[in-house]
Amino acid sequence: MLLDIRNLTISRDTPTGRVQVLERVNLQINEGEIHTLVGESGSGKSLIARAIMGFLSSNWHIQADRLWFEEHDLLTLTASQRRHIIGVDIAMIFQDAKSYLDPNLTVGEQLGEAVLDQDLSGRWLQRRKQRKERVIQLLHRVGIKNHESMMTSYAHELSEGAAQKIMIASAIAHRPKLLIADEPTSTMEPATRQQIYRLLAQFHARYGMSILLISQDLGAIMKETERLSMIYSGQLMETGPTRALLDKPHHPYTEALLNTSLYRQSQREPRSRLPTLAGTEPSLQHLPIGCRLGPRCANARPKCVQTPELSKLRDRAFACHYPLNLEEKE
Amino acid sequence: MTRYLFRQIGLLLVTLWLLTLLTYGLGHWFPGEFITNSSGIFPDDIRYEDIVEQRAGDAGILSQYIAYLQHLFSGQWGVSLLDGEPVFEQLQLRFGATLEVALLAFLLALIPGIPLGVLAALYFRKPVDHTILTISLSGYSIPVFWFAQIAILVIAVHWGMVPISGQINPLYDIPPRTGSILLDIMLAQPSYLAAALHNALLHMVLPVSILAVMPMMLIIRLTRNAMLDVLQQNYITAGYAKGLSTARVIWSHAIPNAMQQLLRQLGALISLLITNTMIVEVIFSWPGLGSWLVRSIYERDYPVIQGGLLVIAALILIVSIILNLFHAWRYPQVRKDLYGTP
Repeated sequence: MLLDIRNLTISRDTPTGRVQVLERVNLQINEGEIHTLVGESGSGKSLIARAIMGFLSSNWHIQADRLWFEEHDLLTLTASQRRHIIGVDIAMIFQDAKSYLDPNLTVGEQLGEAVLDQDLSGRWLQRRKQRKERVIQLLHRVGIKNHESMMTSYAHELSEGAAQKIMIASAIAHRPKLLIADEPTSTMEPATRQQIYRLLAQFHARYGMSILLISQDLGAIMKETERLSMIYSGQLMETGPTRALLDKPHHPYTEALLNTSLYRQSQREPRSRLPTLAGTEPSLQHLPIGCRLGPRCANARPKCVQTPELSKLRDRAFACHYPLNLEEKE
Repeated sequence: MTRYLFRQIGLLLVTLWLLTLLTYGLGHWFPGEFITNSSGIFPDDIRYEDIVEQRAGDAGILSQYIAYLQHLFSGQWGVSLLDGEPVFEQLQLRFGATLEVALLAFLLALIPGIPLGVLAALYFRKPVDHTILTISLSGYSIPVFWFAQIAILVIAVHWGMVPISGQINPLYDIPPRTGSILLDIMLAQPSYLAAALHNALLHMVLPVSILAVMPMMLIIRLTRNAMLDVLQQNYITAGYAKGLSTARVIWSHAIPNAMQQLLRQLGALISLLITNTMIVEVIFSWPGLGSWLVRSIYERDYPVIQGGLLVIAALILIVSIILNLFHAWRYPQVRKDLYGTP
């Protein structure tokens, strides 16, 4: 197990008291696995990524039974120890990649920073030269051919897709074991998105790197993704292998998302209304008790005011009192 | 960049031209006679007839203005109404003296100001931050003229550590050439060079440090705010995500970007600095532009007022344009949205 998160709760102090933005979320990622985390914006999926990376400021409170990366307990590490592990073994790319590039440094200078010192040898001048070669190599790997002009470019001169490629190049510089991709393509056109996904899939195949992809749209996930986790309003709804989950969702939330997605387009009557979930996602000030999907769920019953435990069924897990598609259980 | 350069130079030229219109107009608007106001020659002077001829005193406004410009560019800025000294030569000397204190004070403000601001931002809302903020707020609220007088009273008079006023002890016979006393001493190369330098520096300590206080306090606050803003930015997070150490992220990402914001705001500081320089010059009898201008306003010495106004306005203008150009040259990403803004 590469990443093991058990019962991760992240809360924040607000004027009306402490709010659990993320409630008892489980997430396990194996070596060499592509795992996609799907949830609407504001569901707390980016919080998970930031908690792993240690980017949350002090007004967020993190509790977990387990937050382990390989043999390191991330919760007990100091910031600098953590930085050491993260810098080498975990890399992260973000949505809105341009703003993650320093506007005052050229792309070459910033990529050079990401090259590990232990990959270089020799004296200062030689190291400098090697660093440059390594940067050129990285640029070629992400499919940028004109490395000369790219290395002297500044962030404002790049397109969103090119900036994301630079971020990927900088992320793979260490050959990390885990790459966290936080909605890397949400502001891109579909063609560019496919390019980025192809790159990620290629590095996954070449280095056996695990990928945690965070996405807000079931229709825009990587086709190589092996496991899916659905998260709604800070609670984990369902997790399992992609194929099985999409074919037979156990959780009403997954079902509802699938109904609105392209996967089931052929089953819908032409010109029929899109079957969406009623209502809107609850605000942090008014979170429902129990299952947070409750007020919007079509088969909610009184029992749903108790938070359902995560029930495991072979390699899948779901948090629902009244799961769907479970013939064999009766 | 070339396009931006031309735009800025164009802006500078237009503003300078408007400035000459203003100073020319002042000659008419001041009470009294135009020729006397702009040349400093009274009607009962024997040279008066010639001056009227040269400055086109009887001709129309346009030829008068052209004559004014010709005089302006050939360095004939008239003579002082008070002592008959030529304004342009006096200006050159006093400009050097003003520039000397202003520049030194600015450096003195920058050197501790920036590190203190950075420090305050790094220890945001911790005791270090509070201490620096308190000091900077109190330093900023103390009026310069009061502070200068207290400093003279305590440090110069009571303790006798430094001279009370002036540029250098007149016993050191230094011929004024540039107006900047340190430069003049170096140019004159007297046999008592070290002693003269020592004396000049002692004279400089109080005015320069008092002048530096207010800009320093402002620089601390500006740097702190810029740093706080930059530390929130995504590329700082990205730096940490790369596994860089905190020191590395701050040194190579946070500080350079904060400096960019600071540089943009420094232009506004220049005019404050010049205004304070005038006050400090009067208090310390520093033979600079400021004390001279203040005196000329009291004495209604119109040629001097015109000349001094032109020089100080042009100075502030040129410094801000240079800052703008430097900003655009050093920080390429601002060029594209900077066109047209002054």
